Amino acid sequence: MNHLRTEWLKIKNYKAFWIFLGLYLVSIVAINYIAFEIYQQTVKQEPMAASLINDPYAFPNVWQTVGYMGSWLLYFPGIIIILLTSNEFVFKTHRQNIIDGWSRKTFVHTKLLLVIMLSIVTTIISTLTAFIFGMASGDPFSSDGMVNIFYILLQSLSYISLALLLAVLFRRSGVALIVFFLYGLIFESIIYGLINRYIHNQAGYFLPLQGSDVLIPMPFGNKIIYSHAPEPATLIISSLIYLGLYYFFLMRKFENDDL
Amino acid sequence: MTILKVENLHKNYGSIQALKGVTFSVPPGSVFGILGPNGSGKTTLLGIIMDILKASSGSFQLFDETPGPHHRRQIGTLLETPNFYHYLSGEKNLRIAASIKGKGENDIARVLELVDLTKRKNSKFSSYSLGMKQRLAVASTLLGNPQVLVFDEPTNGLDPVGIADTRELIKKLNREGKTIIMASHLLDEVEKVCTHAAILQKGVLLTHGHVDEILINEDIVELNAENKEQLNLLMADYPESISVKQNGIYLEVIFRSGEASLAKINEYCFSRGVILNHLRLRRKSLETKFFELTSNNN
Repeated sequence: MNHLRTEWLKIKNYKAFWIFLGLYLVSIVAINYIAFEIYQQTVKQEPMAASLINDPYAFPNVWQTVGYMGSWLLYFPGIIIILLTSNEFVFKTHRQNIIDGWSRKTFVHTKLLLVIMLSIVTTIISTLTAFIFGMASGDPFSSDGMVNIFYILLQSLSYISLALLLAVLFRRSGVALIVFFLYGLIFESIIYGLINRYIHNQAGYFLPLQGSDVLIPMPFGNKIIYSHAPEPATLIISSLIYLGLYYFFLMRKFENDDL
Repeated sequence: MTILKVENLHKNYGSIQALKGVTFSVPPGSVFGILGPNGSGKTTLLGIIMDILKASSGSFQLFDETPGPHHRRQIGTLLETPNFYHYLSGEKNLRIAASIKGKGENDIARVLELVDLTKRKNSKFSSYSLGMKQRLAVASTLLGNPQVLVFDEPTNGLDPVGIADTRELIKKLNREGKTIIMASHLLDEVEKVCTHAAILQKGVLLTHGHVDEILINEDIVELNAENKEQLNLLMADYPESISVKQNGIYLEVIFRSGEASLAKINEYCFSRGVILNHLRLRRKSLETKFFELTSNNN
């Protein structure tokens, strides 16, 4: 607990952190509000649309919809963790923390605790958002599809842990951010497409972020986009293995290198 | 008990050998100076001891035990540069250091006062001058009143008053019985403050031990007289002298440390008809000794 308290002292008065976190959490609600409004307007103008597409914000779809929309925002907590970690390298406070009496392991574990907390906050806000929009859409509450809340947690952990690993590997925020964005937004999709086409039609699903992405697909049309997707249990295991690998490489890098 | 024991420590950065088999130990209650020019391996050595660098081979012990984080919590350390969170105030930065050390939270006001930063304790670290940053780093080392302190170039960036204050502080801490390990490239700093010293050059430990033994082992007497030739001949026969040489306008006679008596020399010359117009005793300066040691190694 004392380690977490020390980490709290670092961020408690860090304005940039709170502004960024606040904007991120508001964005989760805002992006869903926009999509919610678009659907409502579409149905109002073209009533036929409602019979073609199930209301994405009605229970039980809403759990998946909110998860899917929020997945595009997961780069923001990733940015937060990259900034917090690279700050330590820039200020050389990662060295001072060790000098003052933390072990190298403690330093990494404390940052991982931060990753877990950001993931939990993301999950809580997403759950509340889903609940509110679900109720607003008028259909009765349904707990079907609430497994998506677990998927949101898993996806958040996947994205933010990868960001932490990149921050520790590259040390400088600029490089880590560029690699994080380029890989997450562009290269993984390209590699996914190429692997699935030329190697095996399921292999691409086992890329680092792909597993948890596929667990929360677009609320409609996922059977066409992810036609050969493995079972959710397989994707969950794949994501957990990656989390284990991130931990292994984080520890190896931080425990063995000169700081 | 030995505070620090270093055994055959090596550190390589690629093909560059930063430390080449360094071995020494730091006795309790000493002010132990690690002296050497820039790039001699001082910070590398302290970095390994503080676990922010990994040794290529060799080992060290702290308090006669295999080193761990709990040992570092008992040592106040300032390594290389003051490392603090730029967006936090001086006081809040010390709170983080105290939280990691697990002690010293009630000590923050005292240490800030000690380094004269009480008035600026709520200012952001980024607004501090170089000297203030250095003083905050010194304050941080004093949190929780540790019995061992490690300072790497503690007077870096300080003005002359700050330098004098820091030296006084180090001496005062030592008088309180604390052990201080201090790296410096400033020879006179070590000479003025340290009881023990180790001299490093290009990663090689040239010598180490008590300052009096390794640094000041000769007395030099400067003489001059109207009749230089006669003076030269006389002093060549002077008992107890080790050597005689002309250095500029003065004749220099070397004695073992503490053996030169100006009164005796004056009487010796006068009784043999040579009247001195210059007679001065000086200790062999640390600088001379340092250059001697390091040039032998080149």
